[in-house]
Amino acid sequence: MHFKVRAAAKEDCKDISRMIMELAVYENMPDQVKTSHEDLERDGFSPNPFYECLIAEVPDEHKTKDGYTVVGYALYFYTYSTWKGRSVYMEDLYVMPDFRGKGIGTGLMAKVAQVGVEKQCVRLQLSVLDWNKPSLDFYIAKGAEDLTAKEGWHFLRFHGQTLDTLAKEAPKD
Amino acid sequence: MDRFKLRKAEPKDVPDILRLIKELAKYEDMEDQVILTEKDLLEDGFGDHPFYHCIVAEVPSEKQSNNGPVVIGFAMYYFTYDPWIGKLLYLEDFFVMEEYRGFGIGSEILKLLSHTAVKTRCSSMHFIVAEGNQASIEFYKRRGAADLSLEEGWRLFKIDRSSLLKMSSGPEE
Repeated sequence: MHFKVRAAAKEDCKDISRMIMELAVYENMPDQVKTSHEDLERDGFSPNPFYECLIAEVPDEHKTKDGYTVVGYALYFYTYSTWKGRSVYMEDLYVMPDFRGKGIGTGLMAKVAQVGVEKQCVRLQLSVLDWNKPSLDFYIAKGAEDLTAKEGWHFLRFHGQTLDTLAKEAPKD
Repeated sequence: MDRFKLRKAEPKDVPDILRLIKELAKYEDMEDQVILTEKDLLEDGFGDHPFYHCIVAEVPSEKQSNNGPVVIGFAMYYFTYDPWIGKLLYLEDFFVMEEYRGFGIGSEILKLLSHTAVKTRCSSMHFIVAEGNQASIEFYKRRGAADLSLEEGWRLFKIDRSSLLKMSSGPEE
């Protein structure tokens, strides 16, 4: 099946929002999605964007039963390692179920890799849930190394109330 | 330790920041992995497209004997994006020199970072810690941090530049 990977435009945010929700459903966490397509427009397409996004689209004759031609996306941003410098972090990679197995996921990820190389990034990082075997296999086949297993890295966060509590005690400006 | 000051890093702080990065790497037994130079830090933090932001902790120079350093701690962070909740603050490095620990400097840095996160509309502050680093894990958990690797099963992966090059030069669709 022929498909095209291109940089997302502001108008694509409705499709991206739709697919973000589909990915959340796949990860069993749909009630956790709080962003709207307006948030995505503001955060990705202002002078200081917080992410970049690539989308995969198919020709009209292959559109979904609901009429969508945008069938996949990769959302990423730049991070920084104090040891090695610029990195790219791929936050989301998603292809609609009916369009899997056709090289679209690989195509999206290859384009993220290309952008990373062009921007002189030393590596690409991502995270995967430990039960998500199809994704684990997909990334390992492309050369990904599990740093949680290999080096013991854990993700931590301060969220919601715990963040507010800490913030209130900050020294005044 | 009666007085210390937290402030935004400036270009002149780059040599101190690199010194502290190397000290932190030594603390994590990975000193030889720091390949970043002062030139990289200057360009990447204070150029047209900053890849990171930095806070430094300094003590008054008159308190220092033997021309000891004035900058004795730092935190490096940047903004990332969660498609479900929007902007996040990501804490990349956080270090206080050994002889200056136990005076609350680390706590104050963390509170300032949390305040920055809330002020810039971030829902959460994320970071990673190696599971062998019990002292740091306890420090964060005492202040309300949650371990997402344990609680939700997230694993961190990386793909090195050589694999990125291989991916990005794959067959075009």
